[in-house]
Amino acid sequence: MRTLIPVILLLSACATTPVPVERKFPPYPSALSEKCEPLKPIEPGDKVPITDMLKVVVENYVRYYNCATKVESWQEWYTEQKKIFESVNQK
Amino acid sequence: MWILSVLPSYAIHGLLSVGIIGVILGFVLGFIPLIGKYKLPIQIISILVLTLALYLEGGLENERLWQLKVKEVEAKVAVSEVKAVEKTVEIQEKIINKTKIIKQKGDDIIKYIDKEIVKKEEIIKYIENCPVPQEIIEQHNKIVNLSSQSSGEKK
Repeated sequence: MRTLIPVILLLSACATTPVPVERKFPPYPSALSEKCEPLKPIEPGDKVPITDMLKVVVENYVRYYNCATKVESWQEWYTEQKKIFESVNQK
Repeated sequence: MWILSVLPSYAIHGLLSVGIIGVILGFVLGFIPLIGKYKLPIQIISILVLTLALYLEGGLENERLWQLKVKEVEAKVAVSEVKAVEKTVEIQEKIINKTKIIKQKGDDIIKYIDKEIVKKEEIIKYIENCPVPQEIIEQHNKIVNLSSQSSGEKK
């Protein structure tokens, strides 16, 4: 037992510890945290003019394009961040 | 090796020096009467000390190389963090600009409808005579409310 303790201590002295390099995950753009606006319905009525319907359609297209912009930006942001993240590991 | 964090590097260098001196004393200067008396213990102890010191020196060098690698990675991480923030800001600005342009164009079209389209004679006639049928509005609203309906079904 008396000889065992120094041997264990000597062997444990060779134990390696992981390299502590802390990496923070980058925060995403705040504009991407906003939800997509829901599409607008046409207000039902007795005589809905075609122009009112057209205006609702235009507004919905605007909402769609804004939402598509956010989705595409998410994809771009992720792809770019991945490239940057992986560049650290490259020699 | 935790022992390297306990022992300062000069202690390891000192141990190596002691080991080398011991080996010289034990193996080369053994003819001196005072040393010759303790020749064998000096030889054994000095070889053990030299072995341990060489091992620790190797560990120390390995530790130094690792520290260099850590510094290198830390520098790379710092650069990547700056790049990541720059890219995020760039994308944020792109989203704001694009959203603004889309909104502006949509508003322009609605303004054009209100100012120009509704004033055209053939359209006035069409509006008066052909209102949009309720069924068409219902079908349009059905697809508009699809998202809220499908999320309601999940519950």
